[in-house]
Amino acid sequence: MGRGLAVVRGIALVGLRPLEVRVEATCSPGLPVLKLVGLPDAAVREAGERVRTAIQRHGLRWPGERVVVNLAPADLPKVGSSFDLPLAIAVLAATGQVPMAAASRTWACGELGLDGSVRAVTGQLPLVAGARQLGARELLVPAGAAAEAALVTGLTPVPVTDLTEVVAALEGRRRVAPLEPVRPCPGPAAPDLADVRGQPLARRAVELAAAGGHHLLLTGPPGCGKTMLAERLHGLLPDLTTDEAIEVAAIHSLAGERRPDDPLRIRPPLRAPHQVVSAAALVGGGAGVPRPGELSLAHRGVLVLDELLEIPRAVLDALRQPLERGEVVLSRARARISYPGAVLLVGATNPCPCGHLGDPRRACTCRPDRIERYRARLSGPLLDRLDLQVPLQPVARAALVDGSPGEATAVVAARVAAARTAAAERWEPGRLNRDADAALLRRTTTRPALARLAAALTGLGASARAFDRMLRVARTIADLEGREVVGPGHVDEAVAYRLPPVPVSA
Amino acid sequence: MSGVTLRRLTREVEELAARGTEPAVLAALLAWTVRPRRTLEGLRRALVAHRGTDGRPPAQALLAAVRDHVDDSDAAAASRLLPRWRARGCRLSVVGDPGYPARLAEAWPMTDGPVLLAAAGAGPPPGPTVAIVGARNASSYGTGIAAWLAEVASAAGVHVVSGGAVGIDAAAHRAALEGPGGTSVVLGCGHDVGYPRGHAGAGGLFERILVAGGGLLSEQLPAVPPKAGIVRARNRIVAGLADVVVVVEGGPRSGALLTAGAAAERGRPVLAVPGDIRVPGSAAPNRLLAEGVGACTDPADLLEALPSDRVAAAATVPQAPAGASLPVTLLPSEVHRQLARAWPRAVPGDVLIDRSGLPAGTVLAALTRAQMAGEVVERADGFVLRRDPEPAAG
Repeated sequence: MGRGLAVVRGIALVGLRPLEVRVEATCSPGLPVLKLVGLPDAAVREAGERVRTAIQRHGLRWPGERVVVNLAPADLPKVGSSFDLPLAIAVLAATGQVPMAAASRTWACGELGLDGSVRAVTGQLPLVAGARQLGARELLVPAGAAAEAALVTGLTPVPVTDLTEVVAALEGRRRVAPLEPVRPCPGPAAPDLADVRGQPLARRAVELAAAGGHHLLLTGPPGCGKTMLAERLHGLLPDLTTDEAIEVAAIHSLAGERRPDDPLRIRPPLRAPHQVVSAAALVGGGAGVPRPGELSLAHRGVLVLDELLEIPRAVLDALRQPLERGEVVLSRARARISYPGAVLLVGATNPCPCGHLGDPRRACTCRPDRIERYRARLSGPLLDRLDLQVPLQPVARAALVDGSPGEATAVVAARVAAARTAAAERWEPGRLNRDADAALLRRTTTRPALARLAAALTGLGASARAFDRMLRVARTIADLEGREVVGPGHVDEAVAYRLPPVPVSA
Repeated sequence: MSGVTLRRLTREVEELAARGTEPAVLAALLAWTVRPRRTLEGLRRALVAHRGTDGRPPAQALLAAVRDHVDDSDAAAASRLLPRWRARGCRLSVVGDPGYPARLAEAWPMTDGPVLLAAAGAGPPPGPTVAIVGARNASSYGTGIAAWLAEVASAAGVHVVSGGAVGIDAAAHRAALEGPGGTSVVLGCGHDVGYPRGHAGAGGLFERILVAGGGLLSEQLPAVPPKAGIVRARNRIVAGLADVVVVVEGGPRSGALLTAGAAAERGRPVLAVPGDIRVPGSAAPNRLLAEGVGACTDPADLLEALPSDRVAAAATVPQAPAGASLPVTLLPSEVHRQLARAWPRAVPGDVLIDRSGLPAGTVLAALTRAQMAGEVVERADGFVLRRDPEPAAG
């Protein structure tokens, strides 16, 4: 009987950050119990029962001795069922049923069924990508997740359906045919911008938002087409590259929103949580290791918050840091986790509690102080980050004014793509004007334009942060025109999206 | 015992007395009124019930009425009020004195002008004066009209008085304060209370009014809180100060109706601005119209309602230089034309862009420049020119 120490490697995820976990197993004389150490959570603890039953039912032998399994590093909390497979292999190696040397070179992740079948787990894609990052060349993966695993380049996934195949693979008896990665899928066609009649202001703002990634605030009475515009904005965004799509899919996989056999979506995500969303659901959180929230699920895409002022202020304020940094940092006693969250935020709100302020057809019945209090719910720092603030008129009115026939999404998307390319060439690949470096930005702006903006800011009483943010919008306006430098005219338009309407009582 | 005697109170009150007001009268009245259940309004009624002022100046009649009913403990209590008035920079005047608004004192004590008036800043000027009053709970229509009327009146040299509340009152004060006419507030509480909070704070409306040369008036002792009865009572002062009262907006039980009633009792004209009949805030002006008061559908209505001798006075006031700088606009001509045609209504940005046929960015950039230059303001319902594009000739 082999009395060695078997080691198999698994992967733990702290947020999206992968950590190598060495699953060590050894047998020693004593009662036939399984002792599992190394901070396992309930799911990992139960792995013992699953693994023992799966091994026995599969005609393999469970040792009649005391089995000790250690998950190292011992101080890192382990969660989930992805350690079933490495654990089973470690026990099989410790009992000499698979070659010890092969086991010590093996990386594996997957859950075992009681019948010995290997199943995919939540967060399968980030686990595979993580193994690649940690230097694994080959990885035993559940067959159900193989096609998805094949998306990760530089690593050979070895698909296994049950323990028999696992043993065969470790004994070198199993040949792996190259896997066909899942096909990128364009997803359903987005609604077209040509459907938007009139509303030239909103169309312009949507184009700027798509081109520069600037956050957008739409203010208008109920039913004036705020959601419609958000969907069209999403349609203007270019497809994700494969790497970006994998990054997005990894977050969705981690949140349990994606099954391994789902096609890889190359359209940016569009998320529209309901306004009773909690802070944890929005930016991420939860007990133990925090899960990604809607913000991260919308990474590289659009996050729509309808009825923005109905969302509790504490929840909204949780958005401030992530919007600035493009990532969410969740600090917990046991872990400090960051998830990406570079989103284009589209906020929509009524102009006043009754919704009819500024409506030419219906009188607003709100008291001025109530309107002020309503608006004050949007804290200054968050409002500062909403670069494009656009008032919308009710739709019937807009339809009466038979607006210019709408440009189609394809036409506008081409301009958007060109502006994005110009920005990426100027800064660095993939960087939007929204995230442009302030110092570099000022270098591409003429002096009169800077002076104009400074004068406008004095009038607005805006912060220094607002200065750079408006300059970034002006940069996008210039990019859409194909201009190399930002001039005063571009700045003037950028300021227009920030000028607050004077209070009604003034 | 603080040892304050009436004589000492007289000396202390001297620096607070307005021009032409006897410190001795002031001291006696203050000492008289600090005792519970004595009100100066009650004193006026007593004079009316008795023999009027008996041909004497009001101050002398009042002094005679209270002189024998005050003692040194009253003087001590009154003395404690003075620092609070002093801190607010107030001057006190007694009805009928030269420093007291003459219009308010007309036919006193038969009319209900307050016996004592405290004023911070300048008192209301003797020239033509209009009261623009209405609800706190005002719509954007109401505040817009109030501001329009007040701006035109002030620009024509007409002083604007109102109650300093939020809503219509505030809109009128704001619009008038920088014009040559100026504006005064009649407070519904004492000077040292700071109500409404948003206006009384640092940099608030009241401070701006004082800086612009306007005044804050109150008949109350400095620490009197804005109780309903007190706030309503000040409406009669607003009416008493004005040659014309304009009611802009108000509910069926609005204080603006009291102001209108008080003006009618003094035989001064009342105008009402017709309101949207769907809105509860239109009840007061529409009811007044139904009862036969004049309609105010244009600032010219207001100026015409001023008594002719006062209009003559207004005509001597130099006109605001609005007309001089007119033809200059920072807007594309098509956009300016639309705004001029719609004035004083606002035009939504979408409509301006659509009708001008220019790209959205061009129009927005021009609107920004115009806003920075003060030519245009953006309101909840769209963009509007700040000034009348075609001021009426003459």
